[in-house]
Amino acid sequence: MTSIPSGKFLKKWLLTSGMHLIILAYLVYLLFPLLWMISTSFKTTPEIYSGIPSFIPRIFTGEHYLTVLQEDRLLKSILNSLYVGCITSVIVVLISLPAAYALTRYKTSINKAVMGWILTSQIFPAILIMIPLYLILRSLHLTDSLAGLVLVYVVWDIPFVLWMLQGYIKEIPVELEEAAAIDGANQGQIIYKIIMPLLLPAIGASVMFAFITSWNEFFFALVLLKSPDLSTLPVELARFTGIEGAARTGPLAAASFMATIPSIILFAVLRKWFTKGTLQGAVKG
Amino acid sequence: MNRWLAYIRLYPGLLLAAILGILVIGIYVVGERAIRLEAKAPKTGPIKFLSLAWQQEAVTAVQEMTDEWNQMHPDKPVEFMQGSWNAVHDYLITGFETGDIPDIFHYESATIVDFALRNYLADLSPYIPEDMANDILDVNWASVRRSNGEIVGIPFLAATSIVLYNQTLFEEAGVEAPSLENPWSWEDFLSACEQLTIDRNGDKNPDQWGAAMGLRNSANLIMSNSTAFGGSFFYHDEAGNLETRVSQPERELLSKISDMLYVQKTMSPSSIGKSVTEMIPGFLAGNYAMVVGIGAWARQQVHENAGPNFRWSTMPMMKAKTQALGINTQTLSIPKTSQRQAEAMEFIQFFLNAENMTRLAQSDWMMPTRRSSLNAPIFQDSTLGWDVVIKSADYLSEGPWIGLPGYIEWKSRVANPVFQEYFAGRITLDETAERIERESNSVLARYQVRGLKW
Repeated sequence: MTSIPSGKFLKKWLLTSGMHLIILAYLVYLLFPLLWMISTSFKTTPEIYSGIPSFIPRIFTGEHYLTVLQEDRLLKSILNSLYVGCITSVIVVLISLPAAYALTRYKTSINKAVMGWILTSQIFPAILIMIPLYLILRSLHLTDSLAGLVLVYVVWDIPFVLWMLQGYIKEIPVELEEAAAIDGANQGQIIYKIIMPLLLPAIGASVMFAFITSWNEFFFALVLLKSPDLSTLPVELARFTGIEGAARTGPLAAASFMATIPSIILFAVLRKWFTKGTLQGAVKG
Repeated sequence: MNRWLAYIRLYPGLLLAAILGILVIGIYVVGERAIRLEAKAPKTGPIKFLSLAWQQEAVTAVQEMTDEWNQMHPDKPVEFMQGSWNAVHDYLITGFETGDIPDIFHYESATIVDFALRNYLADLSPYIPEDMANDILDVNWASVRRSNGEIVGIPFLAATSIVLYNQTLFEEAGVEAPSLENPWSWEDFLSACEQLTIDRNGDKNPDQWGAAMGLRNSANLIMSNSTAFGGSFFYHDEAGNLETRVSQPERELLSKISDMLYVQKTMSPSSIGKSVTEMIPGFLAGNYAMVVGIGAWARQQVHENAGPNFRWSTMPMMKAKTQALGINTQTLSIPKTSQRQAEAMEFIQFFLNAENMTRLAQSDWMMPTRRSSLNAPIFQDSTLGWDVVIKSADYLSEGPWIGLPGYIEWKSRVANPVFQEYFAGRITLDETAERIERESNSVLARYQVRGLKW
């Protein structure tokens, strides 16, 4: 008869419980602001300003959602953000995937220089490049247009996605490609029939990254888009805040919650890919 | 030929870079030419108007007035663009640098100084009609008039500090609020704060504080209210250069606030880390009897958010040597690059006529700048504190920041952080004065080297 020594069992139990507690604390830390925002969005305005913190609203109200939904521009801005986010994600992946493949599989000095430049380009803050970028886009008639904004986001997102995809591609054994080549597959077939299916988790993570980055981005959208009809959600949300930090808190919370819904849905859809892909990328980069 | 081909084979990246370079330069040159031609062509389309109205009533009022204008002037339509106070500075800076900027924009007098010094703003003085020139108070004009007589913005709303107080707590403590004619001195105020600071449960920690102030970003508050003590912070030396001095008049208000926090313990310690807006929930919850130095616009927040049994009112700021309040106005300006300055100014004249200015001031809960609007019957009512707000027009004085180059940088990089440290008790008053002088003069020197003079 074998039995687990009680000391060892206790140690294991304590370790597991400790881990769970840490994860729970981290979860609360991450979720609390979101839950507080949702709670605020359902509180009446006097309750928000009552100075007495309460998690569950004393009186549930949908007035802030009605206020937000009555503002046509906010709905329009959600559509604009969705448009920009979706197009950006697709283009980023379409460009980054073959580029990452080429940069990983073909070792030349140019590739090294390209990767170096991509890494270097990440150190420039947006404010530094804003004015020259604006002038270039204007000369291309791409300011005050969603197409121009998509172009900026694509350029902004590609370096990170490229690095991420490169890490994943490195993990795929070259032998798989060699086997496909022996069976008569050409380069395109190798990429789209052999590599792509293996990279689905990475593609999911890339889509997620590109979408959320462009969904949340504020500064480029603020400066590049002049027409009120074109503004994106983060720019529209900023208009709920006023002088000296004052804000229309209820409508702001309601609009912010509405703004997070697409990200939550996207994450729910791509969760499996994202988790698996991120972990794979983290092991070997 | 073969030699070139050999080079290309050896360095294919260089060829690629050269092609890309030529392509980018080509696109840029062609595009710039198109822009120059476009800039010379007469502008069509609506006049773009960037407004910073944000309270629901104010946004509606601005939209309605713009619609009224568009109905009356279909040949000169105006497009209303709602901006954000948080992001407007970056938006305007990039707009000025790139030349793509609305024809009319809303901002504040303390901040447009830098734009004027960089020659970004049109001189509006030739367009100002006599009735507007005479009707807007001189002190308001002073906030936007350069020494060469140029007017770089039309002031239409004035920010003014008031005191909000809880009537119930005053009655319970037997404190009588001052009248408009006889405002409290600082001694009266400090004594009332002691009466109003109450430890209800006997744990030696007050449960109700006499006063609270939003001290997180307190530069505007300190600057504006130090004028009543004769403080200015900024002085001109004999050569006409600006320099910062923190002597006794500038120290008075700082030390009074610090004493209330740490010696008399009559000011809520939550004042230290919060903005004025963040003080409102505590005020509504009865945690403090007064919120001191809050902008007149905050009455809207209290009015909208107070429960049915909450009784509140307003009183003027305390009298020190005088009752002076440094002025900061909200303005409408036109960029120098706008091709339609005259048309834009026509709209401004309509937008800021006496009737519309009254609507704007009422919807934004701020003080109008026109005499005729100040005298409007709606503002003579005391129920929402309008009488206190309008009366403070008598005490407005030119703010120390008028014509100060780099004010926005000074405020965010020097004054706000140093005042924060002082009120948090981390540095002494002497250290505060020394740091404000040293760090301010370093900022000022940078701007003065550029030869920027108001």
